[in-house]
Amino acid sequence: MNKPNQISPPRWSLKFFRWFCHPDYAEDIEGDLFERFEKRTIENRAAKWLFTLDVLKLFRPGIIKPITGSQKLNNYDMFKNYFKIGLRNIRRHKTFSSLNIAGLSVGIASCILILIYVNNELSYDTYNSNYETTYRVIHYYGQQGEAPDYTSLPTNEYQVWGNAPVAPAMQQFFPEIDKVFRFTSDASWLFSYNSITYSESDVLFADSTAFDIFDWKVIAGNPKTALERPNTVVLTPRLAEKYFGSENPMGKSIIMDNQDPFEVTGVVEVPTNSHFSFNGLISMSTFRNSRPQIFDSWGYVDFYTYFTLKPGTSIEQVQEKVPEFLEANFPNDFNYHIKFEPLSDAYLHSEAGRQPGPVGSMGSIYIFTSVALFILLIACINFMNLSTAQSVERAKEVAIRKTIGSHREALIYQFLVEAILVTFIASILAAVFVIFGHSLLETISGKTLPIDWLFTPQNALLALGGILFIGIAAGSYPAFALSTFKPVTVLKGSFKTSSKGIWLRKSLVILQFSLSIILLAGAAVVSSQLDYLQKYDLGFDSEQMLAVDFGYDDLVQQKREFIKQEFLKHKDVEIVSVSRAVPGDFFPNAGTGVADPVSGEIVYKGPAIYEVDEDFIPAYKMNMVAGRNFSDDFPLDSANALILNESAARLFGYPNPADIIGKSFRQWGREGKVVGVVEDFNYVSLHEDVEPLSLRFGTRFNVSTISVKLKSDDFSKTIAELENIWQGIVPHRPFDTRFVDQNFNAQYESDERFGMIFTTFSGLAIFVACLGLFGLTIYSTSQRNKEIGVRKVMGASITQIIALLSRDFLTLFIIALAISVPLSWYVMNSWLDGFAYRISLGVEVYAVSALITLLVAFITMSFKTVNAALSNPIESLRDE
Amino acid sequence: MGKHQLGEFEEVVMLTVAILTDEAYGFAIIEEMEKRLNRKVSIGALQTVLRRLEKKGYLSSEMGEATAVRGGKRKRFFHLTSAGKNVLQETKEQRLGLWNAVPEFVVKFSY
Repeated sequence: MNKPNQISPPRWSLKFFRWFCHPDYAEDIEGDLFERFEKRTIENRAAKWLFTLDVLKLFRPGIIKPITGSQKLNNYDMFKNYFKIGLRNIRRHKTFSSLNIAGLSVGIASCILILIYVNNELSYDTYNSNYETTYRVIHYYGQQGEAPDYTSLPTNEYQVWGNAPVAPAMQQFFPEIDKVFRFTSDASWLFSYNSITYSESDVLFADSTAFDIFDWKVIAGNPKTALERPNTVVLTPRLAEKYFGSENPMGKSIIMDNQDPFEVTGVVEVPTNSHFSFNGLISMSTFRNSRPQIFDSWGYVDFYTYFTLKPGTSIEQVQEKVPEFLEANFPNDFNYHIKFEPLSDAYLHSEAGRQPGPVGSMGSIYIFTSVALFILLIACINFMNLSTAQSVERAKEVAIRKTIGSHREALIYQFLVEAILVTFIASILAAVFVIFGHSLLETISGKTLPIDWLFTPQNALLALGGILFIGIAAGSYPAFALSTFKPVTVLKGSFKTSSKGIWLRKSLVILQFSLSIILLAGAAVVSSQLDYLQKYDLGFDSEQMLAVDFGYDDLVQQKREFIKQEFLKHKDVEIVSVSRAVPGDFFPNAGTGVADPVSGEIVYKGPAIYEVDEDFIPAYKMNMVAGRNFSDDFPLDSANALILNESAARLFGYPNPADIIGKSFRQWGREGKVVGVVEDFNYVSLHEDVEPLSLRFGTRFNVSTISVKLKSDDFSKTIAELENIWQGIVPHRPFDTRFVDQNFNAQYESDERFGMIFTTFSGLAIFVACLGLFGLTIYSTSQRNKEIGVRKVMGASITQIIALLSRDFLTLFIIALAISVPLSWYVMNSWLDGFAYRISLGVEVYAVSALITLLVAFITMSFKTVNAALSNPIESLRDE
Repeated sequence: MGKHQLGEFEEVVMLTVAILTDEAYGFAIIEEMEKRLNRKVSIGALQTVLRRLEKKGYLSSEMGEATAVRGGKRKRFFHLTSAGKNVLQETKEQRLGLWNAVPEFVVKFSY
């Protein structure tokens, strides 16, 4: 049979067979396979194939070798044993185990919750398929006449809010640009359908290319054509349901602002992690039809411009040609420049001003991540501390195991398995906490925080890895330290916890309390800063000031004087003013020229602008520092008078406000004299200094808000009565009111939410640290049981014993204080630098947070120390 | 002794081992079965049953000497143990008992 040209069986099948076959059977079965194969090669051409088939048929439970190879059986049993011993230890030391598990689970849960929050922050706008290739235009509008070096101009001098013509011009000029999309700043519109009428905020004009760039979820309508025709509107599902209920909104007409019927051409949902949002979109062509001149004006600012690049092109190519582009398109030498910002920077990394929506802060993401790590670290330290503290008890076990013949590795595994087991139980508990904490976090953060992204196979693996990692990290010190004990020393009874162990435990406690104090002081600083902002004298008084919005409603504008008079007749109304906006609202900037103090030539600057009436300044109790307010005695004020704030006066070169009175000005088609200077008041947030502001008389078409100062005890009654008056005059317009101070404080909302999240997690951190401290106190008092007994017999008082037990901790606490205060001082100072108006960091903050930590620590310890001090010395001395 | 039930395939394999007496190794059993019973037997099916029967104690096995054929691999020879013989006997008696209990006319008509 051994012919030289003999073919051999397929190699891979044979290899496969040798791999899976039970080693005991391999030889003879392989022989059978060969024999059959040899026989088949003589009579059958498909022998090779049949051989493979035979091998495959052998792949069955009776033949395959067991998964746990026979040589590993011993290890497997050891692991089973570690597991069993681990569980027994957890059950035996109930107090320590529950302290460990409670601490770790709170730590892990906080970590996951913060991870959910941070992930949501980082996920902004990533739902767009063009995320990588979408950019937006940011504009620089400088003072006319100056020509700065644009390359070195910082990004925060730019703003996202720009003009209309730049978009079509770019589309034409840059071959790299694929799609361009513009939308306007939000406005309120009056929506009416059948008998339902509401004023809806956050309605934008949008180009028809919206859906080419943003992947909003289109629920109904054709995204290609939805925003093409004039007088069409796309709604969010919320609005669609509000007006149409279960009806199909598509093709229905909504009367907008009591005038034109707009056709509903789509329903879209904006993901919650979008950097701007809206309640409705109106086609840009509607806007173009009503004010076509805006679309050619490079100076009219009301548009946000986004564009995508064609594949294979880069933003650098586009940026390079910007000077050329501006030269070719820009009509004059108005100091204007553009830059581009990727969509991926829009939410977290944008420094440009005038954003279309709220922006996040990388700083708070870093802060939250560190808080999460701090809490976890504190929890891990608890674990290490408690385990080492128990080491005396465990030392005997270790010694006996070693005597019986245990290897050091086996002991290390033993402790690690125990640690991983505790971590595992803690993470199950943590998952429960996360489920409850999630909705709480959503409330505090005011955001929808999706968690569906958590449940993927990768994350399940990651979670397992995390459990292993935390378990090993927390269990490593006890595992390595305890396993080194010398059995002889321990069993002879001369073993005491090594001084090295105590030293380590002490430094870990110091670390824990340093972290706790840092967090607590941080929370204290944040809350007192927020308090400071709330109570800061803004330079105007908006208390009990009711604002009625009517969104430039023509009829209301016509009747504004009448409404004012009617409101004033109400006994609870002190003063009424009509203006374009109130402090805290949106306001435009305007090119404003004032005569130069030296040359007398008109110099142009771009201060913010308020359009008000003669009652505005008295209504908000602002102070005039020079000149006069608008007045009925000067009927031409509405055409030729201007009031500036102190900053604006300085901006135009008049450090002494009185000097600017009577100077010529030009602004938005008006010219005349500056008649007054008002004291600086904070009309934006206290994050910033007071910016230059000009107040002009608001003519009929430019006002949209009525401010009503109330002096009532029963606001709801007064407001209802005012609504009656309103309905009597302008019944078509809903009475849409808000309180100005609440509105103004709304801009600190993100700060407040930051503060709340921070405080919550700092509290948790301290809780976890106290759990650890409690465990250590239990341990140290039980160690000193006998000493306490002897001392009591000798006549020590209860106070003395409590002091004795707490003294050690006090030293550690003072060291922790010395470490944490400078660190925290540095960190919190840099946080406060984000505010133009900030508290100065005093000793009080640290004194208070140190005191709180100390108090909490002593209360925690007293659960045990008082108990120990009160106990009858007989109890501790008897058991010899 | 109802608990010692042999499957049909197990019974056939044991009978073949008995037939081959000292020459009962894997491939020979297959050949013999294919020849006598005119049915295809895969190595996998046979080996699984052989190991199972060995575990139950009905068969015992020993390795033979290495030869030049079959890739130099040794053969594993199977023998019936006394327990195996008993269980075969028992099975046979059970079958016969059943056959004897069948009324004669039924068997006649069925052919």
